[in-house]
Amino acid sequence: MTATSLTPTLSSVLFTRDTPVGYELQTIKKKAAIQLMGSRLWGRFNPNHWDPVYAAETGLKAPIQTGEMSSAYIAEMCVNHFGVALFRNARVVCKYVASTYANEVISTHGIVREKTPKGDGYRFTVDVWAQNEAGEKKTVGWVEVDIGV
Amino acid sequence: MTTAHVRTDELRPMSDIQVAQTRAFIDGLASESQTYWDMVDIGDELSRDLTITPELVILYADAVEDFNPWYEGWKMNSWLIPGESPFGAAIVPPLLVSHFVLSVQFDHTKPFAIGSIHTYHDSEIIEPIPVGATVRITTKAVDKYVKRERRYVRHEVTVTDVTNGTLFFRETRDILSL
Repeated sequence: MTATSLTPTLSSVLFTRDTPVGYELQTIKKKAAIQLMGSRLWGRFNPNHWDPVYAAETGLKAPIQTGEMSSAYIAEMCVNHFGVALFRNARVVCKYVASTYANEVISTHGIVREKTPKGDGYRFTVDVWAQNEAGEKKTVGWVEVDIGV
Repeated sequence: MTTAHVRTDELRPMSDIQVAQTRAFIDGLASESQTYWDMVDIGDELSRDLTITPELVILYADAVEDFNPWYEGWKMNSWLIPGESPFGAAIVPPLLVSHFVLSVQFDHTKPFAIGSIHTYHDSEIIEPIPVGATVRITTKAVDKYVKRERRYVRHEVTVTDVTNGTLFFRETRDILSL
């Protein structure tokens, strides 16, 4: 494997001009691990993200993951499918509609909503979301990306 | 919600001293904290420079368990390496800088406004950021609003290359304040 090719599996899911509306992206799964949620990088300075006592005092049933972690999971899914196209003239919109609680298993999803002709290719709009195992959506949004332009 | 039954160590194992250290740390944060709503005025503009070192990228990527080799400018055993991506050397994960905006829009010279929650971002990824670049993150408070009895602060953000001014990234983001 080289750094630029990633794996054959990932190469096979890269978007092309021919990717149709309705195409579903392959899921990424992560666990909301309390050790990561409370790391210095993410939420150490905000106990809502890692301390059960503080979270309860502010009305939360458990510590909640930072929204940026879900956004990163969605971005990882998008890099798998869009490759280099996600790094230039792309747009990622995410709204954190519900809290992701410690120990939940989160999966990311995406489905192509539309493709608009642009240059020699298309600008794709892909609805994306992250949900828990019960199917409750936690993060919703969309991604715009140029393919083959 | 009653909190009497909630334990500090209920989600991970802790000894008595770890519990005591945790409670002292949180009490220290809370004692200095203001609400974000009260800390920010519309029009406030803040800017800081961040060198996105290979180690910082690894710290971020590991913390979201993203092991894409394009981001590796540091590798165990080898340590610093140029890395390899379709753009040449290693690049920064697409939303890394979005996370570090937090360290600019929350004025780092003041106590952190704990209890705030990030609720929304609209991010434009304009150019790939090379690992090792020094970027200038600039945030401007553009709105404060109340929706369903909750208080939000909106910022507009730019991320540029300090050396040549390249615009890498632009974002609109909302924070829910206590």
